Amino acid sequence: MKYGDKIIYMEGVIVEIHDGCVGIDLKGRLGYLKIPMRMLITDYPLVVGQEVGWNMSFVEQLGPEANEKYVSNLDTYQRRQEEMKSRKDDK
Amino acid sequence: MSITAETAKEHAKDPAVLCCRAEAGVTIEAANLEDPAIFDDLVDSNLLNLDGALTIEQVIGATLTKTCDSLTPLTADVLEGIQAVAAPAVEEAPAEEVPAPEAPAVPPVAPVAPHAPCAGGVLKIHIGEGKDIDIEMPMGFNHGAAMAEVPAQVVPVAAPVAEAELEPKVIRSVSRKHYKITEVRRGPETKIEGTVLYIREGIEEEAVASQELVHSLKIDIITPEQYHTYSETIMDVQPIATKEGEDEVGTGTTRVLDGVVVMVTGTDDNGVQIGEFGSSEGYLDENIMWGRPGAPEKGEIFIKTEVVIKEGTNMERPGPLAAHSATDVITQEIREALKSVEDDSLVVDTETFEQVRRPGKKKVVIVKEIMGQGAMHDNLILPIEPVGVLGARPNVDLGNVPVMVSPLEVLDGCIHALTCIGPASKEMSRHYWREPLVLEALHDEEVDLCGVLFVGSPQINAEKFYVSKRVGMMVEALDVDGAFVTTEGFGNNHIDFASHIEQIGMRGISVVGMSFCAVQGALVVGNKYMTHMVDNNKSESGIENEVLACNTLCHEDAIRALAMLKAAMAEEEVAKPEKKWNPNVKATNVELISKTMDKTIELVANEQSLPMSQKRKEKYD
Repeated sequence: MKYGDKIIYMEGVIVEIHDGCVGIDLKGRLGYLKIPMRMLITDYPLVVGQEVGWNMSFVEQLGPEANEKYVSNLDTYQRRQEEMKSRKDDK
Repeated sequence: MSITAETAKEHAKDPAVLCCRAEAGVTIEAANLEDPAIFDDLVDSNLLNLDGALTIEQVIGATLTKTCDSLTPLTADVLEGIQAVAAPAVEEAPAEEVPAPEAPAVPPVAPVAPHAPCAGGVLKIHIGEGKDIDIEMPMGFNHGAAMAEVPAQVVPVAAPVAEAELEPKVIRSVSRKHYKITEVRRGPETKIEGTVLYIREGIEEEAVASQELVHSLKIDIITPEQYHTYSETIMDVQPIATKEGEDEVGTGTTRVLDGVVVMVTGTDDNGVQIGEFGSSEGYLDENIMWGRPGAPEKGEIFIKTEVVIKEGTNMERPGPLAAHSATDVITQEIREALKSVEDDSLVVDTETFEQVRRPGKKKVVIVKEIMGQGAMHDNLILPIEPVGVLGARPNVDLGNVPVMVSPLEVLDGCIHALTCIGPASKEMSRHYWREPLVLEALHDEEVDLCGVLFVGSPQINAEKFYVSKRVGMMVEALDVDGAFVTTEGFGNNHIDFASHIEQIGMRGISVVGMSFCAVQGALVVGNKYMTHMVDNNKSESGIENEVLACNTLCHEDAIRALAMLKAAMAEEEVAKPEKKWNPNVKATNVELISKTMDKTIELVANEQSLPMSQKRKEKYD
């Protein structure tokens, strides 16, 4: 990584709470983050609207190539979703 | 920040650096010195150069001859009256762990220098100024006899409890009868005929009907020729086993099918993987680290269910549980068929596991932290059938409090793991069935394994400390000499992992921690008791590499941990960790252990052994 040491303090708001994960909106419309519970350190019971903070850096590409494994998984995923959608529509 | 006299003593051999400006003529004391703990960072960023710096023990009491600024390393040219320190003995091999050798392994001790104190069962031999070796090893802490080899000039020690050798005691045993399966077919009824397993046609509908949240279920029978097929994320790998007659898990006889495993996979109605985040979906042969305790063996047939659950429930507790329960309807029917097999000639192998208590040996306990944050971060404890569902209690519902089980219950499938995220580090149900640390500790004649303590990892910190305090109390009540604390994966579970170690360590009990850490799973917290750690990482770059079970606890880790705990119980010093993850530490230790124990430790392969597209290779490693 070229810029890995440029660490920035970020804040966000918890917008979704599930048993296994939380959804976080980054403040300033900088994106959305969905993380598994175990990657969140909780000192208090979780409530939607709680503010959270963490350090992160900019996201860098690791190279110009697309990884075929992930491309193929993504294709399968999209195809599957369409199949499931059409099955639901048929019902 | 200046340090106290106490810290100065702890860091006597570390470089001395001024914490603040000091005038010429000042007599150096601890208060003038900076805490060596921060030096690594300063050196890394070129703010500090420690070349030629004297050690703290050398400079205390010396007089400064020149006014110096803060963060100046103290060297001989700015000091007067440097303390002469006994010529430092040759450094020990920088080992993270020093294994406990067998008693007869005592090397020739002719050149023993002035003092060779024997304390707490440790023989320390210092070879004066020689450029050779400095040997320090536990003297087979329970064989008082080993002391006989100590050279004459050594002060005789009160032989460490040379009581009459107490006999090992077998408490209970479990027999595993293995039935070989070479083919799995569908048929009109579920039965075992010779080495062919038939699964009833249409059983899927009953499995679906058993769970409200399950909308569909498909069974795929994957033979080795079909390993290169796409699969949804692998949620669990389970052995197919059943108890004979009225036997309970952990005792009596278990029948198990060889050559075939159950694999749970699935998505929700929208095609979203159950157990999102770092899923292992894709081609099976590229995503499975074969032969790990929790993973399938190459050549095995998978009975793979693909469960579709109600949309949006993949991240709620009932969702993953429903997928597991529906799959278990099928497994249960196979178990019934296995129970009814009457032909004993089909048994290809019988294994017996004995739970042996070894009075007089060092008593140890294994504390296994299992996930309990909710949803797929849950485990069903003590089902009626090995790795079943019926009769089990989810550890989240038990409040994640510690539950004591016997080592044989672990090996007999008392944990049905819903398994968490991070395919590479999750411990699947099969992992417990073949748990290497339990096996290794159970078979080691030098330790007395008293039990396995499962403790859940809750989400909220207050609950984490609640359960870890219970762990501390329980371990204290057990009166053990040593404990292992293991955890799977990384994340906030490292907070309670650290806390368990603290709770045990503060009671004066030796403790070894085991976790996947390396680069990505670096510990988020620490405490002064976390001195003996074993990293379960196997991946080349120290990351969650999305390959099923790659970074889980393996035999080689169990050996290291056991050697380390023995060293810790013998009050051995363990070298400090390096600042950054360095895979060589493991390599060195494995080499040391195999040398001392005179046996080869075969290391398992990692993801590099799998077929992998060139591009992925470039990116990851």
